[in-house]
Amino acid sequence: MKLDRRGFIQFSLGAGAGITLSPLPWKLTDDFSIWTQNWPWTPVPRTGEVTHVNTVSKHCGSGITLRKVGDRATKIEGRKGYPVNDGGISIQTAADLQLLYGPWRVPGPLRRVGKRGSGHWENISWEKAIGDVVQKLSDLRRKGKSHTVACILGSDRGTVPQLFSRFLKAYGSPNFIRTASCDDTYELAMSLMQGAAASVAYDLEHAKYILSFGCGLIEGWGSTVRVIKAHSIWRSGNLKERATLVQIEPRLSNTAAKADQWYPINPGTEGALALGLAHVIIKKSLYHTDFVENHTFGFEDWTDDSGRRHIGFKRLVLKKYSPNAVSRITGLSAKKIVRLATAFAKADRPIAVWGRGKGTTSGSLYECMAVHALNALVGNINKIGGVSTLPEVATETWPKVDQDHIARTGSGMPRIDGAGGSRYPFTRYLPERWPQIVNGHKACLIEALLVHEADPYYTTLDSAAVARAFDRIPFVVSFSTLMDETAYHADLILPNPHYLERWEDAPTPTGLQVPILGLVRPVVSPQFDTRHAGDVILTIAKRLGGVVGDAFPWEDYETVLKETIGDKWDTLEEAGYIEEADYTPPVWENAFATASGKFEFYITAFEQAGMKINKDLQCLPHYEPAQPEGNPATYPLILIPVELTRLANGAVGNPPFCMKTLEETELKKNDLFIEVNPKTAAKYRLSEGQDTMLETPRGKARVLVHLFEGIMPGVIAIPKGLGHTAYDDYLAGKGVNTNSLMGVTEDPISGLSATWGIRAKLTRV
Amino acid sequence: MKEEHGHRPGKKTYKYGMVIDLDKCTGCGACMVACMAENNISFRKDETNKLVSNFWMRVYKITNGRSFPDTDVCYIPRPCMHCEGHGHHHHTPCVSVCPACATDYDHETGIVSQIYTRCFGCRYCMAACPYHARVFNWWDPSWPKGMEKYLSPDVSPRMRGVVEKCTFCHHRLQRARNKTYSEGRREIREDEYQTACTQACPAGAITFGDLKNPEHKVHKLVEEGKKKKIAFRLLEKLGTNPKVYYVSTKDWVQKAADVYLGEEGKPVTHA
Amino acid sequence: MSTTEEKEKTVAEGEQETAEHAAAPEQLEPVTWRFLIPIVLFGVGFVVSLFIGWVIFPKIIYCEKHQPIDFSHSVHQEAVDEGCESCHFFREDGSFSGIPKLENCAECHEEAMGENPEEAKLIEKYVEPGKEIPWLTYASQPDCVFFSHAAHIKMAELECAACHGRIGDSDHTRPYQCNILTGYSRDIWGWNIAGMGKNAWDWMKMDDSARMKMDRPARMKMDDCGDCHEKRGTSNACFVCHK
Repeated sequence: MKLDRRGFIQFSLGAGAGITLSPLPWKLTDDFSIWTQNWPWTPVPRTGEVTHVNTVSKHCGSGITLRKVGDRATKIEGRKGYPVNDGGISIQTAADLQLLYGPWRVPGPLRRVGKRGSGHWENISWEKAIGDVVQKLSDLRRKGKSHTVACILGSDRGTVPQLFSRFLKAYGSPNFIRTASCDDTYELAMSLMQGAAASVAYDLEHAKYILSFGCGLIEGWGSTVRVIKAHSIWRSGNLKERATLVQIEPRLSNTAAKADQWYPINPGTEGALALGLAHVIIKKSLYHTDFVENHTFGFEDWTDDSGRRHIGFKRLVLKKYSPNAVSRITGLSAKKIVRLATAFAKADRPIAVWGRGKGTTSGSLYECMAVHALNALVGNINKIGGVSTLPEVATETWPKVDQDHIARTGSGMPRIDGAGGSRYPFTRYLPERWPQIVNGHKACLIEALLVHEADPYYTTLDSAAVARAFDRIPFVVSFSTLMDETAYHADLILPNPHYLERWEDAPTPTGLQVPILGLVRPVVSPQFDTRHAGDVILTIAKRLGGVVGDAFPWEDYETVLKETIGDKWDTLEEAGYIEEADYTPPVWENAFATASGKFEFYITAFEQAGMKINKDLQCLPHYEPAQPEGNPATYPLILIPVELTRLANGAVGNPPFCMKTLEETELKKNDLFIEVNPKTAAKYRLSEGQDTMLETPRGKARVLVHLFEGIMPGVIAIPKGLGHTAYDDYLAGKGVNTNSLMGVTEDPISGLSATWGIRAKLTRV
Repeated sequence: MKEEHGHRPGKKTYKYGMVIDLDKCTGCGACMVACMAENNISFRKDETNKLVSNFWMRVYKITNGRSFPDTDVCYIPRPCMHCEGHGHHHHTPCVSVCPACATDYDHETGIVSQIYTRCFGCRYCMAACPYHARVFNWWDPSWPKGMEKYLSPDVSPRMRGVVEKCTFCHHRLQRARNKTYSEGRREIREDEYQTACTQACPAGAITFGDLKNPEHKVHKLVEEGKKKKIAFRLLEKLGTNPKVYYVSTKDWVQKAADVYLGEEGKPVTHA
Repeated sequence: MSTTEEKEKTVAEGEQETAEHAAAPEQLEPVTWRFLIPIVLFGVGFVVSLFIGWVIFPKIIYCEKHQPIDFSHSVHQEAVDEGCESCHFFREDGSFSGIPKLENCAECHEEAMGENPEEAKLIEKYVEPGKEIPWLTYASQPDCVFFSHAAHIKMAELECAACHGRIGDSDHTRPYQCNILTGYSRDIWGWNIAGMGKNAWDWMKMDDSARMKMDRPARMKMDDCGDCHEKRGTSNACFVCHK
């Protein structure tokens, strides 16, 4: 039978009716909709038992609690009850799982193949990788060039940095370098003025009048969460009880925005303002007489043993820093200076804090001293709500290093950066200075460089000079967990586990006034083929043998850690931290280990160290005008790099979540915005979003203009933390690295970088 | 197509809400990241176009519009307001326009839901929401290799073409319920249910709890703030009756709160 | 006017056609048969599609998988003290552990307890190499669903069997029917392919004791959850069951 058209229709009708009366269409519709709601490429997170594990963040020293589902870490939260942060969390730590599990990790030991920085690597075994380092180091040592080995680390506190330092000592090199931070200057100021070998501690929680000289307290100065928590304390209670925050800064930063008063002053004149305030306080006799008269040295004029007259801080300040004089320097009216000084001196528990931005840069020693002198004037040293030195929880000391001839000679050689030499006897590290020195010599000054928890290739000022200096180092080893710029330009990467995968001690976070020792512990199993840097150093030392090996009597890093903590280990392991909550800084009578036994306005140590002192001025806090690099005629504007809370600008790149939180006035596609006052913009015919060429004596970059009333006319601000070339597309290629636009302005007395800006010009593109 | 649930006589009801202290908020952004990490929020290589960027909690920056040096800046964290609306009809703007019943107002909790598998992406709700609290998935969320390991099983990852928004971390309420039920209780204690942003905020600027419960901190803060005339809500005049209160001692901030959004996606300036 | 004309024309042509056919000597088929053709064709289509829809389609849409180990709930029920919760327990935080992990099994089956070949398989393939058993979860719901065992077992005091059927008394694992389109178990849709019958909403009308007698679990679609919530006066707000 032939099925004609009509027949087919009849059949179809039947089929249709049948299908309709069968479950097929209805069930298929349902299944189809379920299918479209559950695409196979949409991840379905696995469920499992939920556990919580405590550890400590290596970013900010906050206690954190990881929420784990099965063996996966799914969330980082602030640990409740932890002394530093009590439940709060910093933005970068909150995004840390993106770094732990992300593609930025170095998957295993890598050896460079092809040109340096080309990104071509071969996977090698740990055996071979360590073998390469041992080979190189033992060759250098045999040739008597042990002092040409240098280490750059992000910190010198805690067991791992101490292992590196010990290694250099046993191996025979003086070149342990710590990357720049406000600690560089603070340690110097505290050791000179107070005779304390430690950085500064601020009792911010109990302070009632906080006078901040450009300190990015809210941006992440010290331990981010802790300072923000302190800010909330200032904002609690009745309006009358609330603390006052005064911010001195040319730009309306987050800190300035949160301040009760914001005083924009000419950039780089903070020291002058501090001295101007001192002038008013002294003139009006508002200073703490007991402290100043009985516990300080060099306030009044004095005569030394040889009968020479010296001028005191009082006379200097009264003579040179009248409100009118300071007003001319800072741009702040004399009336305001007087008002500010009076308010500060009369306030209950005033405190003056120093350290530009997040505290990732060093600065002028005299400026730091001038600010600290204010604290002395109001007598808040070692007081509640005042300033003291950063204490540490006491741990066991290691056996002395038994140096052989090479080690002794090597360690006795001058440091590569010039720190501790005759010119800068008190400075410990000059992290911004070594590239110039390396570039300035024909001979190869650094034969091997080991970098741990630092990214000097990215964070050191004057990127072009840094790149040249790296090119001159034949052997660069990075211990980096992440593929940062230094790792990218290294010859060998020996990846350290992420801090969520390893044991380590976390010393007291910068700025804290109570000794705390935190325990970093592995909370997830190692995700990649990594090895603890502490263990790697032990292995290298043992393989080198001789005195180097003997200096490391420990089996492995965990033994080092346990033995260093000693009796307190069980407490530390159980609680996750040790807090010496009842610690109080020593009373004034025993507080100062200076030559005079007092707080020194006049630094006696300079002369004792054999430094050439021509004028009393050199030993007193004073203001030295520091002109930013560049010719004002060519570069009429002043560029200041600024730090943003949501943009990490240190050794660890900004995670994708944090990149997302940047404002639309900070980054647009890959272009960075600079902040320009509308008045400045009008002068150069710039409008919002204008494509502009920013040029400084050190480099140039294409940027976009954001008009912001919160920036001083004539000054332009550029955020730090962008312009990465390593990592991946979530971070690399966005914006500019401010260091590529900056040079190094050296502080004459300390040799540290006192760079706060550079001259610049803007041209429309 | 109004979908409202939970009018059940005799049942204990909650009215979860938030008080955000703008004097304490520092604009650090920890709430935003904590929210993203908690709620499996996707991210892309370029997130600079804020019109299509996925935020449940977003911190806006507003300025007082005055020139240097009288400029001032304030940060305003903005979660979903979980609008209750007024009167019998409870006019929650987004709920009232959803043609798919993909969002509802739960009278037992006061939380506005969003069901991703039900949503078909018409975005009426986004148009209706005066707070820009809702975001659309223009792309299929994807995670760089390895990163999907941190995804939480408590929040369902979304797909392209659906709208999402802040849920007051509703899964944490579910978690708290699990715990109370297994202990034979029904009442959820204040500390048992807190949102991720509240917990993360280093400043302690966010307070979360039951607005109806006089024992809860939020209740006290709202009462106190009203008395001192420092508490307000965003776009109060629209009558959306939001459950997120703000506290600021700055006059200009209080004034700006009624018109704070400005032109879409553009930085906001107020005189 | 023209319409009428056209109609007439059509009728005329039709008559003419019929007449021509009637006159044709080749005509062999009886008239009765002819008018049956459409019915037969319709019927054939109807029956074939019904057959496809009811018999073939279910066989295609579901593929059959088998559990890695033929597990006997009844044997284990006898050996444990606390019923289902001995292995399917609540954690301290109120969350439900679901299908036991290998370590639970290994607590007893570190070494063979008997001579059952399935137990030997367990030890050889999973316990010894420390590999989790890839159980197929009959009751697994899509990711958008939030289900709290605590709310149902602890608060509402439902028996496990109320939703899962008498799986606890089974001697063997049943085959797992996997929907080839969605990947979910047939238990969700229910065993009646039409989504009807006692496994569907009739289930709601049963009392708990009748429900307990079911060998197979109840249907677990959204409507079923909703119906039960409605019946018990529990909230049906979206977020009660969605995440």
